Amino acid sequence: MLGNLNIRVIADYFPALWQGFLNTLMLSGLGFAGAMILGIIACALTIQPLRWLRAPAIAYVDCIRATPLLAQLYFLYFGLPRLGILLPEIVIGIIALALNSGAYVAEIIRSGILAIPRGQFEASMSSGFTYLQRMRFIILPQAIRPTISPLIGQAIVLVKDSSLLSLISVVELARVGQQIALDRFMPVEGLAATAAGFLIIYYLLKALAGFWSRFDRVPGRS
Amino acid sequence: MFWFQVERLLNYWPILLKGLGMTISLSLLSLLVGCVIGLLFGIIRAGRIRWLSALTGLYIDLFRGTPFLVQVFICFFILPTVGIELSAFSAGVIALSNLSACFIGEIIASGIKAVPKGQSEAALSSGLRYSQQLRLVILPQALRIVRPSLVGQFILLVKDSSVISAIGIMDLTRSGWMIVQNIPNGLLVFGVVGIGYFIICYPMIFVARRMERRQQTSIL
Amino acid sequence: MTAKLTKLLLSASLFALAGTAATTYTAEAGTLDDILARGELRVAVQTQGPPYSFMDKAGARTGSAIQLTELMAKEMGVKVTYLDFDWDGLIPALMSGKADILAADMTATLTRATKVAFTKPWIHVGAVAFTTSGSDFKSVEDCKKPGTTIAVILGSTAEKSVPKFFPEGEMKSFKGGGTVVLDAVASGQAQCGVNDNTAVAAQVLNYPENTFTVFPDMLTAEPLAYAVRYDSQDLLTWTNLFLDTVQQDGRLKENLDYWVNSNKWQNDH
Repeated sequence: MLGNLNIRVIADYFPALWQGFLNTLMLSGLGFAGAMILGIIACALTIQPLRWLRAPAIAYVDCIRATPLLAQLYFLYFGLPRLGILLPEIVIGIIALALNSGAYVAEIIRSGILAIPRGQFEASMSSGFTYLQRMRFIILPQAIRPTISPLIGQAIVLVKDSSLLSLISVVELARVGQQIALDRFMPVEGLAATAAGFLIIYYLLKALAGFWSRFDRVPGRS
Repeated sequence: MFWFQVERLLNYWPILLKGLGMTISLSLLSLLVGCVIGLLFGIIRAGRIRWLSALTGLYIDLFRGTPFLVQVFICFFILPTVGIELSAFSAGVIALSNLSACFIGEIIASGIKAVPKGQSEAALSSGLRYSQQLRLVILPQALRIVRPSLVGQFILLVKDSSVISAIGIMDLTRSGWMIVQNIPNGLLVFGVVGIGYFIICYPMIFVARRMERRQQTSIL
Repeated sequence: MTAKLTKLLLSASLFALAGTAATTYTAEAGTLDDILARGELRVAVQTQGPPYSFMDKAGARTGSAIQLTELMAKEMGVKVTYLDFDWDGLIPALMSGKADILAADMTATLTRATKVAFTKPWIHVGAVAFTTSGSDFKSVEDCKKPGTTIAVILGSTAEKSVPKFFPEGEMKSFKGGGTVVLDAVASGQAQCGVNDNTAVAAQVLNYPENTFTVFPDMLTAEPLAYAVRYDSQDLLTWTNLFLDTVQQDGRLKENLDYWVNSNKWQNDH
């Protein structure tokens, strides 16, 4: 079945594939930016001492992580109109991706913070910094390092999850691949093109992470 | 209208329950196999044999970077052309185990790398062999660092298992798609499906949190 | 202790895998001889919704296309095995030989036929437009207003015909079948929807009466047909004869009258 992969047909669909590729990049780029912001806020709330702020943040992280994106997407897409909120599909899609990945990002960053030796916290507190200063100058710089790899992992999960948005009629890479499958009855060609596109994004992400880590070396850690 | 639909949905609980069971067995099997292989991948990836680490890295990249549906299709439709015939269930379990092994491997490798060098140096100077260093000193610390990421991965695995329904496995998500044809309310049906996933995933999150609390109380 | 337990669990799971691997299909299917030799017709279906292929209230697979294949297997003298796939999986299932024939509510198009061999059509359907009752859209002409949002099924032939009929409309393609299209229109995410007349007629029954207004105009005429591989010429010939036969002896009409041209099936399923 792989032997007769029809490259010519994939080439025919190249303009559509390219558009889908750009849309996937845009959707997941915005989605991940939103997820990072949400994740950092949620993480900060889960590790600060005020219980009434901590509980809702933990509830958000746990509920999102315990339910599938499909359910969350439907919740937003078919649920919001019942509250009188009608948003464009693309906006709902990006919100859903950001909400979903934000919970995972929060957990990943929290794990980075928990991995910091206790002495660092104690030292930072005795040095008289405020909470925000402690976070900004001491905790976060150390916390981010071990989280880069899992964050890349989450980013690639998000990129692939973005293909679920075709459920609510958003056009992205996987959907164009499906188009090839349905128009021409050539699913292998469609999937091969989709896979290649996602692989390119994956390596772009990895290159980005490698770029980051080159600037970020610490003595004592390999 | 809404309560009418809820009432009709109640008729479908056997299908939903069966789907839940299928999702649990798919994920549990894949989790077990994926953890074992993933641990191996992680150790190799963070290990000293350069070429083996690079080769494993390439393998992991290929699977982390491509859609899971493609991998499932390869297991189910392409492997038979090289003589490996698999049922839909085993093709699904193999694909899912492999995918989670790749993610788990990368997570564990990052954990191992995050353990301060002094630890392995100290272990070395106390006369431990490499395997002993790993088992007694490095891995326990590495696993502690990456535990939240691991739990996150386990949860993703449960949800990724829904992709396997594309080759005809009647899991929780697919039973939702069947039911939505008769109860045309995506919000309601997938809300219930979401609760099903919650039942599977939340205990994992809960246990992880409890373990963490025992280890380290509020830090700030 | 834990090491032992892990080992035990691992070996148990490996055994389970080996067990499932043992009950696998044998490759190289496709011709009539093969089907008769193994005594089993493998049919790839998708469970897209009433009236063609769906899961009834009792949780059993049924529908017009399903009953027709059952009849086919009966005439062939073999039992039927269903392989249930999503759209993505149907063609690979046929091509890889996992399935002998593809029995979905699939429109035969010339482009698609470059890849698979379609049988004679067993029914002709047409695309119709619908909207929620009481909306401002009183006719198909109204739906042609610029900027009207029109919901269709992702990958359906309506995706091709809608831009032709509603050049100034805004098409939204939803994955997941006809019910999602209805749901999108009912919830206000799209103003009109376009789908096969037969599917719409069957699926609006799940809503309270007078939820939707379906316009009678047929926008297209589309043949639905089964598909086989081009190297299964024997099965293709046989299936065409089968379709001719059931058309002549009235069994096809009986099937369609029950499932498609009326709501009789609603009482039993």
